[in-house]
Amino acid sequence: MGHKVLLVDDSLFMRNMLRGIFESEGHEIVAEAADGVEAVRKYRDFRPDITTMDIVMPAKNGIEALREIRAIDGNACVIMCSAVGQESLMNAAQQAGASDFILKPFNTERVREVIRRVAGD
Amino acid sequence: MDMSPYRNLFVSESREHLRAFSELIVKLEQGSGSREDMYALFRSAHSLKGMAASMGYGDIAELSHTIEDLLDRVRKEELIFDTGIADLLLEGADLLEVMIADVSTELQTARDTGDLARRLATYRPAAAGGVPEFVADVKSPASYSPSPATGERDSHDDAPQTVRVRTEVLDNLINITGELITNKHRLLTVGKELESAPLDEATVELSRLLRDLHSEIVLVRLIPFAAVADRFPRVVRDLAKKIGKEVVFEVEGKEIELDRGILDELVDPLVHILRNAVDHALETPAEREACGKPSPGKIRLVVRRQKDQVVVVVEDDGRGMDPARLVDLAIEKGLVGPEAGRLMAPGEAFMLTCLPGFSTAREVTGVSGRGVGMDAVRSTIQTLGGNMAIESELGKGSRFILRLPLTIAIINVLLVRLSLIAVAIPVTNVQRTLELKRSLIYKRGRQALFDLDGEQLPLLSLNRILGFPHGDAGELLPLFVCELKGRRVGLVVDSFIGQQEIFVKPLGRPLASMKGLGGGAVLGNGEVVFILDVANLL
Repeated sequence: MGHKVLLVDDSLFMRNMLRGIFESEGHEIVAEAADGVEAVRKYRDFRPDITTMDIVMPAKNGIEALREIRAIDGNACVIMCSAVGQESLMNAAQQAGASDFILKPFNTERVREVIRRVAGD
Repeated sequence: MDMSPYRNLFVSESREHLRAFSELIVKLEQGSGSREDMYALFRSAHSLKGMAASMGYGDIAELSHTIEDLLDRVRKEELIFDTGIADLLLEGADLLEVMIADVSTELQTARDTGDLARRLATYRPAAAGGVPEFVADVKSPASYSPSPATGERDSHDDAPQTVRVRTEVLDNLINITGELITNKHRLLTVGKELESAPLDEATVELSRLLRDLHSEIVLVRLIPFAAVADRFPRVVRDLAKKIGKEVVFEVEGKEIELDRGILDELVDPLVHILRNAVDHALETPAEREACGKPSPGKIRLVVRRQKDQVVVVVEDDGRGMDPARLVDLAIEKGLVGPEAGRLMAPGEAFMLTCLPGFSTAREVTGVSGRGVGMDAVRSTIQTLGGNMAIESELGKGSRFILRLPLTIAIINVLLVRLSLIAVAIPVTNVQRTLELKRSLIYKRGRQALFDLDGEQLPLLSLNRILGFPHGDAGELLPLFVCELKGRRVGLVVDSFIGQQEIFVKPLGRPLASMKGLGGGAVLGNGEVVFILDVANLL
């Protein structure tokens, strides 16, 4: 059963890649956001089942956006996307309620694994 | 995973990052950058790294990573953003640009990055200096992304939905619209012959719809000047640095929108004018101080919308040009006769710098240095259906004013008849049309002249220039006034057909290389006309 997904990344390239992977898994991308402010707004509007969240973004970073989303919805499922070497940020994200992590550069198999895990398939 | 579908997007998004990159570096180096600019720079390097790694371009990812690391040190205030860092970053940006170009052409070459990575990784400032300006307004401790101004945040909430469209699609749309307009004129011609009221009605309605369609498509093709503006600070900065001049460079009106075709063509002329301004128009810091000016010269690039035109102005506060000296030089070179030279208004004298062969020479540098390739600049602007003017005041500076239409492919022309054929002249090049009584023509030497608004204008025959026989001229000579080689002249034609919008088609070879021809078009009656590039007729 497909889930509704919100993709958050300031790079269109990254969003397109993730879209490709999610769609190949049978999920539906309901919205995309290019910064943290837009992410929170779109979360409120679309109430996605799964959100992928980049960390380094303009306007509001991914961790702040994660906190706000969790404040709106304590059960929000948010997968953080971060680059190697951002371990301290990952700790912060975990404390803020991140559901899982995907490391950049994306390894398709690993991304699929994480999606299946959070989607409960 | 097959990554090839993502390659084009990778290339275009990387290039966007690199353009922003260069602009931000120059801004930060000049001390006019903010803390947010610093973060934006960091984010660009970071995004580039992530994208390249995802695509499997290890060398691009690695170089971006070293750049990101250096920026991280600046971000954490371990280093101060100085000229040394700016140089290294720009060198890195150049290299990345080449690597991305390789990707776009699917070249599999490994670029030699030399010791750039090492220099980026081990950078030490030459000497401990002051605090850079962007640190001066620190409001929050370092974090990955500081809170933006609230105004910016609000703008997100009602951001319109956008889609990306390939540029070829936009080109096709305007081409098809152009063909439709040509067809409409055909229908109008048929309608006149048939004298059918219902047909006329339908064509009038069609005209209205086509106008709407055209203006919508024009809107779609508009992109803000900002899309190209970020490369200019770099051009100015690099040249100024190379020749030891100080320049404060400002760009105003980046939000003004132009047709993407025009914007693309505008870059080279603007780079040229800006380089000239830095190289020749601005004095050295010492010279400036000697005449009581602030030691950094000022160059402003201002874009603004004026009715259905976009005006681009490049102004400097440099040494300015002396019209008398320019006229003397042009006479010396045989580009104008002494008679014609003496009659020239200052505005015309400045335009002499745009004559082919006016000069690339040293002697001009002593005066102003204008003239290098300015003929190419002017001809590009005119081919775009625009025109150019120069204002200058000795000791105070110069202004280059470019007026451009919002869109190119469909332009308004004056149709005139010469002997057996019709030709079209873009109305932007026509200053006036009039019918002149023969008795008002007088001669000086072999040159026919007439008076207009208290000015003596040479009278030339367009038939003769193009090698056509003269038609039957009556007592009244139809003529239009335009600028030819920097000089206002009257061009006599056989008759006026009228004004019309036409869809410009580029000429193929070998016609494209003929001087004086700016394109072709098909009229409603099927007749093919040439569009004259008046400035390059002689």
